[in-house]
Formats: sequence, structure tokens, C-alpha cells
Amino acid sequence: MNGIEQETAEGCTLIRLRGEVDLSWSQQVRQAVLEALSTSTRVGVVLSEVSYIDSSGIAALVEGFQNARSKGSSFALVAVSDSVRAVLELARLDRVFPIVADIEAIPNVSGAPAWKP
Amino acid sequence: MSSVPAMQHDSAPADQARALAFLADLSETLAVSLDLRQTLSEAVNRIADFMGAEAASLFLLDESGTTLECRVCVGPIDIAGLRIPTGQGVVGRAVAENASQVVADALNDARVDHSTDSDTGFVTRSLLCAPLATAKGPIGALEVVNKRSGGVFTADDAEILRLIAAPTSLAINNARMANELVQQARMKREFDLARRMQKSLLPKRRRNGFPLLGVNLPAHEISGDFYDYFDLPDGRIGFFIGDVSGKGLDAALLMVRVASLLRWIGKEGTEPELWLERVNEELCQTSLDGRFVCALVGHSDRLARHVHIAAAGFPPALLYRRGEFTEYLSGGAPLGILPGMTFDGHEIDLDDASLYCFSDGVTDVRDAQRQTIGSEGVRALIQRHAGASAEPRLRGMFSELKHLRLVDDTTLLLIERIHPQGPEVLLTRRFPARPEQMREIRSLLRTTLDDAGVETGIRDKLVLAIDEACCNIIRHAYGPDDSGDIDLHLTSDGGILEFRLFDTAPPVDPARVRPKPLGECRSGGLGVALIDSVMDDWTLQARPDGKGNRLVMHKRISLTRRNGEDHE
Repeated sequence: MNGIEQETAEGCTLIRLRGEVDLSWSQQVRQAVLEALSTSTRVGVVLSEVSYIDSSGIAALVEGFQNARSKGSSFALVAVSDSVRAVLELARLDRVFPIVADIEAIPNVSGAPAWKP
Repeated sequence: MSSVPAMQHDSAPADQARALAFLADLSETLAVSLDLRQTLSEAVNRIADFMGAEAASLFLLDESGTTLECRVCVGPIDIAGLRIPTGQGVVGRAVAENASQVVADALNDARVDHSTDSDTGFVTRSLLCAPLATAKGPIGALEVVNKRSGGVFTADDAEILRLIAAPTSLAINNARMANELVQQARMKREFDLARRMQKSLLPKRRRNGFPLLGVNLPAHEISGDFYDYFDLPDGRIGFFIGDVSGKGLDAALLMVRVASLLRWIGKEGTEPELWLERVNEELCQTSLDGRFVCALVGHSDRLARHVHIAAAGFPPALLYRRGEFTEYLSGGAPLGILPGMTFDGHEIDLDDASLYCFSDGVTDVRDAQRQTIGSEGVRALIQRHAGASAEPRLRGMFSELKHLRLVDDTTLLLIERIHPQGPEVLLTRRFPARPEQMREIRSLLRTTLDDAGVETGIRDKLVLAIDEACCNIIRHAYGPDDSGDIDLHLTSDGGILEFRLFDTAPPVDPARVRPKPLGECRSGGLGVALIDSVMDDWTLQARPDGKGNRLVMHKRISLTRRNGEDHE
């Protein structure tokens, strides 16, 4: 059920997560995100098939986002499922992360769409 | 109709146009109404006229498919109701061979049966017969007799009759199908009515500490299971649960009779053993057509301290007391088989234990591998839900059963002392404090909160908050060097859910557990902030004995619905 897949498309590294992201494997998610950012300047985490995420999973994404900002890379959450969005909203992080509908919309440079009024 | 074979007359185009016009007309007549008797007799009249025949008749096959009966006829002789075996005579042969028959000289044709003629004085000179063909073979035949002009029927006439037969059989088929649909709809209405009536026979849920709870889940539309409870003259409660063998409407009707018989004989407080004996005598006096009845009857005082039961071919009653099971077997054969039988009962000191009486539908439930869960499965089911109060426990058990395959009616009667005041226990669970446990705990929480009628959006937030609390215990209280269990208690009291989490980890200083402001882009401290945001209030305390911590959280909810097959 749970799974991480990595692929490269249109000059962008995609990390596709599946299942329930929780404490039992969020460390793997964190590592996969940081590794992708060490080799690519444009990283997207696809969350359409994530049915649950806890704070340790959110923390892994936050760390990825901060890492990308410090390096001037681009980082976005792609196709966020309703249950993930509910948790992001609850944590008031839905306006912090760049959230895009599909791969094409992942920005080329860091920052630009990250802060919405 | 473009394939109408050309009629080889000199006046072919005119005849063709006439035939087509008639066909169109006839089809219209037949399509107007589904009332066959009227339309067919009109159609046969018009066919006789069009064909210029002295007589015409329509035969239909009966249900057995071996005999043809004349349903409509026109002409000087009334042969309506005449029956002909398939294969005999011209009509029988047309159907048997599914082919038109042309008889130019009837007097000298071996196919023609002259018995009707000799009875009536009518002389059959020439006749023509076409089968009423359908995709599933002929359903009858159309026959015309004697040309009024005195001539003989030709192959062309046969072709026209064949064409006329087509819309006729179509109309008959349509009418039959329509009739079948009407019948089916009526059957369904009657089944629904029976189902509602049956449901209305089950007793209403009683509140205020009434020590009996029943649930019935029919596998088919109509159930053969039943249960009932009622007050006895001495203040105790009489109850019974039963199962009529077989399925369907007749089992359901017998169930209605047995349930009222059990109530009638039991309501004076007859001792359970004698109660069954009398019902058995009564049932044996009339034939049950091979059916029989399994039942358990009993008495209980209002605090369910002492219960007296007797059973006839019913699955063993299961007593559950603090993790231990005791079985009480039936003391006699099913009811309605042999007169003069006696039954042995059981006197049970129940006190604060629970007595489960369930129909064999519960043990017959199939798991994912299609195996029956058996009495072991039922025991495991009871044990899994044992921590909850009676009502949420039955809801939980049945919602689990519903996820399995029900092959039979499933009915359960629970007898136990109900504490009318205080919170309702929805869930108690002890599990090892390890991250891999949390997936199952989340799933269990979702089911429990669903069953309690918590709205989905709130449910997911509560599951998140509990998960966060457990993860904090795992990560920070026990930490990487320590291990132990987490105890989770979920209770509901007047619309307030209370979640309690206990651990046996070294005491945590509550002052150090503080929610951080939300919306900050930091990876630490988010869990407590989420709990703080979801719950109305929460407190963390070291347990007084210094062994472990206690986290209590509250959330007020508005209940949207109640699950389960309650009869409120």
C-alpha cells in the first residue's frame, strides 16, 4: 500500500507518494525528498494517492521546502489529495507550500508562487 | 417489409400495396393495447376478411409446450377451447415443423383431421396454416379455412399469411412480457410489505437500563429469524430468540406464527423448559411441511443477575465474564419435529457478565477466504469489542460482520446488566507503542467514530490528533531506548467524546509540552499544535504513582446519525 516512486519528467524530479504517510516510514520520505533536492533544482512531491499524512510526514515536506529555499531550488506539492489538504489547512501550511495542480505548473525558480496574500 | 416477396399475379403491384397497407393496419391494431383477448379477436376477424376466408382461428401452445388450444376463432363453427396435440393435424404440424402448411384439397389430404367437420356438418375444402414464430420457436399457429370465392389457397396466400403471423406473434410475446413484469412488480411490492410487517414484529428498543438488546440483520429480503421480549406478571422479563429453517416467504409466514405462539404461551411466566414443551406440542399438531424451528427462551430479572434459559436445537448461548467464555448447550431437539419431547434448561448467575444468544447466521458469516468464522470467530469478535458498552459494542460487532459475507439471517440477543448513567464506552484498546501499530489503530478509530455517528471531516481530524498523541508517546515519552504499551479509552457522554491515553513511560514534564503557533514553517512541534487545534481541551499529567503519563482530551460533537440495525 505505502510506497515511494521517483521519476524524472520535463527536467523535473518527481517523488510520488502512496498510502498513509506516518511515523513508521516518514523518515524514508524525508530522505527521498532531500536526495532528490541534492541532484535536481526542480522537485515536485505528488500527493494525489496519499490518503493520510501525519505531522512527521508534513515535517519531511517542510524540511524539503526549507532546503530548496536555501539553495534557490524550486519545490512544490503536486495534485494534493483532499485528506492531505485538510491536514495542511489544519496546520495553516496550505498557504506556505507552493501547491500546484500538475507537473507543468511546478515553477522553474524558487519562491515566486510560494507566498500568496 | 421491403422483403415482401413479390406475388406472382398479373396485378402484382396492386396486391402488394394492399397487403402492405393491411399489414401496417394490423400491426397498429396489435400495438395499441396489451389486452390480448380483445386485440386478438379483432385481429383474427380482420385477417379472415383480408384473406377472404370463411373461417379463421388462432391456436396457442400451453405451458407444457405439448398441446395447442384454440384461443380465438371466427366463422360458422365455434372451436374456441379445442385442444390439439403438437404434431397432429395441420395446425399441430405447422407448429411441430415451424413451417407453413398449404392444403389445396382438404378432402383428400391425410394431414387434415375431419372429426370436427363430421360433428358439425362444416366441410373443410381448403386451408392454410402459418406458425406464430418467435426467437424461441413457435408459440402457436394462425389458420384460415375455405376461400369464400370457392377457390383454393395458393403458395402466395401462404406467404401473405406468414407475413401476417409475424406482427401477431410479436404482439402476443409483448403482452406476455408486460404481464410478467406486472407480476414481478406485484411480487416485489408484496415482499416489501411482508418485510416491513416482519420488522414491525421485532420489539422496540427499551431504554433506562433494560437488560436486553437485540439486533437482526436479514441476509435476504425476508428473514426467518425473530426475537422478542416482554414483561412478566411477576416483574421479570421473558424473552426468546429463534430461527425457522429454510428461507423465503413461507419460512417468513411460519416465523410470524411461531413468534406469536411463543409470546402467547410465554407471557404468563411459564418456566422455560415447559414453555418450549408446550410450543412444540402445538407446532406438532399441524404439518410444517418439513420445516422446523430452533429457539431459545428464558426469563431474567431486571438487573440481569439471574437468568433461566432453555433451548431447542439453538446454537449454544455464550456467557462472557472477564475474558472467559462458558457455553450453555441446547437441552432438546428443534421444535415441530416430534411431539412429547422434553427440554433441559440452565439457571445462570449472570451478575455483571454478558450472555450472548445468536442464531447460526452469526457463525455462518464468511471471512475473506470464504470460510465460516465459526464459534471461534464469534468468540474473537466478542472479545475484540468487549471493552465497549452494550450498545456501541453490538454496533461495532455488527458493523464488522457487515464487512464479511452474510450468508444467512443474523440475529443476536444480548442479556446483561445495563448501567443507565455514566458515559458510554466506545473503545478500549491496549497496543504496543510502536509506529507500525498506528495504521491499524487509525482504522479502528475511524470505524468506531463512524459507528458513533461522528461526521467524516471531524472524524479525520480526531484520528489525526490521537495519532499525533500516540506518536509523541512513542517518540518522546518512551523514546528510542524504552518500550511499552499504550492504553486507549474512548468514551462518549452527552455529546462529549473523551479520549484517554495511558503509558508506562518515565514521567514527562507537562510544562515542556506546549503547542507552537501553527502556520510556522518549522518541522518540529507540529503534533501538539494539531492536537491543541482539534481538541476542545487536553491535559497531560504524570500518573500519581510515578509510573507513566495520562493524557485526557475532550471534543464536543454533534451526532449526525446512528449506524446499525437498531429498532428504535
